[in-house]
Amino acid sequence: MRLGLDEVGVTELMAVTEHARAMATTAAALLLERLDDAGGLVPAVTDAPEDEEVRTLLADIRTEVPSAVLWRILARNPHYLRSTWRKEQVVMRDGALNARDKRRVALGIAMSLRARYMIEYHAALVRRAGDGDAEILEILGVVDHYTTLNTLSEGMQIESDIVPPA
Amino acid sequence: MTTIRMVDPATVTGKTRAVFDAVLRREEKVFGATAVSNIWRCQGHVADYVEANWERSRALMQRGRFAPLQRELIATAVSAANACTY
Repeated sequence: MRLGLDEVGVTELMAVTEHARAMATTAAALLLERLDDAGGLVPAVTDAPEDEEVRTLLADIRTEVPSAVLWRILARNPHYLRSTWRKEQVVMRDGALNARDKRRVALGIAMSLRARYMIEYHAALVRRAGDGDAEILEILGVVDHYTTLNTLSEGMQIESDIVPPA
Repeated sequence: MTTIRMVDPATVTGKTRAVFDAVLRREEKVFGATAVSNIWRCQGHVADYVEANWERSRALMQRGRFAPLQRELIATAVSAANACTY
């Protein structure tokens, strides 16, 4: 691993990668396209659902996310909501990698997948953390360039010659 | 199995040589490479093309506000999401 990360760092990076990918699939599968969509394939629960645990969870979630509609849809199944929000918090919090870099990675994944809803979602969070147009374009630049390199290496079936340090 | 012959850095001339020299200097510094990596050798059959991609690599991966590691995190994540094993 030439990034100089240890196993915990690598695991965190892959966790952010797969989580962002899964969330992009989820948002698209629910036919959410824009952050201000009111609902999708499955209707969202109201802001104040009857189930107390769901109500408390959604109140917490609303303070942290740019749009809660995805979470309000998952709330139709409290187990789904609780386990997914728990994972979001575990995966995206400060660790070997800091939360801000993780959110930038998540935005890069959403861009790579052309997942409009999650691009808007992660972009709102990186902007909230202080990033501006220059940083967002820099994230896109890396996504763009690695789309190039991944296409080449897969298309030409390039064998790996990057030797990890001993 | 690679679908294209890797250009031999020892035999290239002109523009491709200049790009390969720059690539190797960069890769030596970043991860201790001792030879130009295959991702650049595979492009070396068309000099203008490898030069254009190298210029983009420099613009997008070596300039900006982020630390190199921050860009590499995104690059690695995108490559993993694309199931790119290289």
